[in-house]
Amino acid sequence: MRIHVELMGPLVDFLPKSQRGQTTLTLSGEATIADLLKELKINIKVVVAVNDDEEKELEHVLVDGDEVLVFTLISGG
Amino acid sequence: MPYGYTGKILHVNLTTSEITVEEPAEEFYRTYMGGSAMGMHYVLKETPAGADALGPENVLALCTGVVTGTPISGQSRLTSVAKSPLTGCIGDAQGGGYFPAEMKFSGFDAVIIKGKSPKPVYLWMHRGEAELKDAAHLWGLTTGDTEDKLKVELEDKRIEVLQIGPAGENLVRFAALISMSNRANGRTGMGAVMGSKNLKAVVVRGKQKPTIADPETFKKLQKWGTANLEATGMDGFGKYGTPGVTAPQNKSGGLPTFNFNSGTFDKAEEIDGVKLYNEHLRGHEKDDQNRFGRDTCFSCSIKCKRVTEIAEGPFKTDAKYGGPEYETTSTFGSYCGISDMDAIICANALCNMHGMDTISCGATIAWAMECWAEGKLTAEDTGGIELTYGNAEAMVKMTELIAKREGFGKILAEGSRKAAEIIGRGTEDYLITSKGQEAPAHMPQVKRSLSIIYATNPFGADHESSEHDPGYKAYPERMKYIGLTNPQEKLALNKEMMRFAMVTQHLSSAVDSLSVCAFIFGASFQLYGADKLVEVVNAVTGWDTDITEILAVGERRLNMMRAFNSREGIGREADTLSKKMFKRPLEGGRSDGYVLDEKEWEAALEDYYRLCDWNVETGHPSLKKLESLGLGWVVAENEALSKVVS
Ligand code: SF4
Repeated sequence: MRIHVELMGPLVDFLPKSQRGQTTLTLSGEATIADLLKELKINIKVVVAVNDDEEKELEHVLVDGDEVLVFTLISGG
Repeated sequence: MPYGYTGKILHVNLTTSEITVEEPAEEFYRTYMGGSAMGMHYVLKETPAGADALGPENVLALCTGVVTGTPISGQSRLTSVAKSPLTGCIGDAQGGGYFPAEMKFSGFDAVIIKGKSPKPVYLWMHRGEAELKDAAHLWGLTTGDTEDKLKVELEDKRIEVLQIGPAGENLVRFAALISMSNRANGRTGMGAVMGSKNLKAVVVRGKQKPTIADPETFKKLQKWGTANLEATGMDGFGKYGTPGVTAPQNKSGGLPTFNFNSGTFDKAEEIDGVKLYNEHLRGHEKDDQNRFGRDTCFSCSIKCKRVTEIAEGPFKTDAKYGGPEYETTSTFGSYCGISDMDAIICANALCNMHGMDTISCGATIAWAMECWAEGKLTAEDTGGIELTYGNAEAMVKMTELIAKREGFGKILAEGSRKAAEIIGRGTEDYLITSKGQEAPAHMPQVKRSLSIIYATNPFGADHESSEHDPGYKAYPERMKYIGLTNPQEKLALNKEMMRFAMVTQHLSSAVDSLSVCAFIFGASFQLYGADKLVEVVNAVTGWDTDITEILAVGERRLNMMRAFNSREGIGREADTLSKKMFKRPLEGGRSDGYVLDEKEWEAALEDYYRLCDWNVETGHPSLKKLESLGLGWVVAENEALSKVVS
């Protein structure tokens, strides 16, 4: 299945600069958010939203065509 | 000699030029731990009820904390407390950099300033001594020029200077205190308070490094921080700085746009931290931003501060004035519908150069832009400046006019609430203020517990006074440590979210009292959580404190602030939010249609009061609560307060 991923803020560095934080991944079989993060080699605390919906847990199972946003939380500024 | 702190508080009476040193007992330090709580102690003792915020009787406290100046990330912060000329309530502003640590090295934990000097002076604190020196030759100078002159005059390049710029001298109601020419104790007009006292600057230098009680544990904590930079995501935070949150804020519909009428800005990418890093930070041409485009605070390995420079053109900017934070890219950017990063960088530099809070300044201009869009302001009012959304030149021009109190800037220098009173014509409908302080760049319509914190916070709308809603679900372990184990669904505004708001508010309040950085020590994403904060305090001071005691310090400070306001006759009627947050649904993006429900909100407010043990009708803290926090003296010593607190 194909998953469109957008990494935001500092997470853009987990992809080559030219991709500006965006990529489409092809994952085989049943994959969860944890699998997706592993594929992207993201090993830090992140928040993941799927299809513009509420934030999802690591065990959430993805389906073909999902759009996934990944970001870190900072509440200050 | 005590561990961590110096044990010395400097008292300066500018009217009489009298300077004295107080040496409080350990119990005093343990009760307040420094910063804001310590400052509140002096403000409540020494500022009379009903004092004019810009009069000599308003006491200004500048306080570090018991761990300031020790070599660990996030400890070099200073809190300024006084009655606010912007809000008429208690004022409070935090700032970092190198000044706080150097003040500790100069031999003092805090300086308490009262009176008014007959002529401009600066305070020179060095090697355990202090003196007032003439500042006539510095009056009117920008922060950068003042700092340069002082370094020559005192023959020391390593002095640190906390000062007002021309905006503080001109009593702009949101004037800031500035150190390093680019760090701000920004909020609530502390710069105007210092300006009203004819005090241009506080200059510090010293070599008295704090002694650490348990160096071995302290070393372990330092190492833990370094080892966990990557895993906590804090190295990425350091690289892109606070503006790195712009894109996620925008996606979640929480980026205030067009004066808070929308949570989504179609040009958000232009003002995002990634773009700022790649295309604007000093050194970007050679991909050398890490070396030239980032700066830090004393002993902090995060390096989240931005350094920008624009060599020529209308927005020419000197690197000494730093670079914008997220709050600044938003208030001068999306609030005003502006996506020109050069203009934002320039407005930020103007604020640092003249000494103004970028949040209140940008938000006040955004308010004027909405008034313009609604036909309530015209070129006749503004002296011909077209305050249309997106007009970057007009925004920069207005920033300068405010600092100088010239033209229409004279009215905007009063802050948006007072400006609306002066102008009338229904312009108050567009305010985004609570207690007269402009809202920072986090939206209560999206992160709902903030709606209660913005409204009730004693010094007005503030984003660093509690944890934000998403943190509850995202950081279960850290939340559990402070007794929060029941995260709620997004947009919930129920009793549990009020408990979340209050408990995390107590922690933030303790962070501001220990005077440590909210990005390093805190409830959720920070490098060191609250557990490590306890360990750091104990390692430095040799105390045996725990999280319960730390939270009580935070609650004490919060109640002292509420009591200050109660003494001024300010209670529940002032705990309000911008009207439009209840009346005007947000437009566009993920938060399209979001609006607060007044009835639900009032019920949450009352839940919050009950949890705090504040009177639901009046909003004043109960006598029982004050006494339980060891604050019975505040009521006993203040007649005006004893009349309203029961
Ligand atoms: S995280 Fe940033 S603001 Fe906080 S102390 Fe470190 S450099 Fe300063």
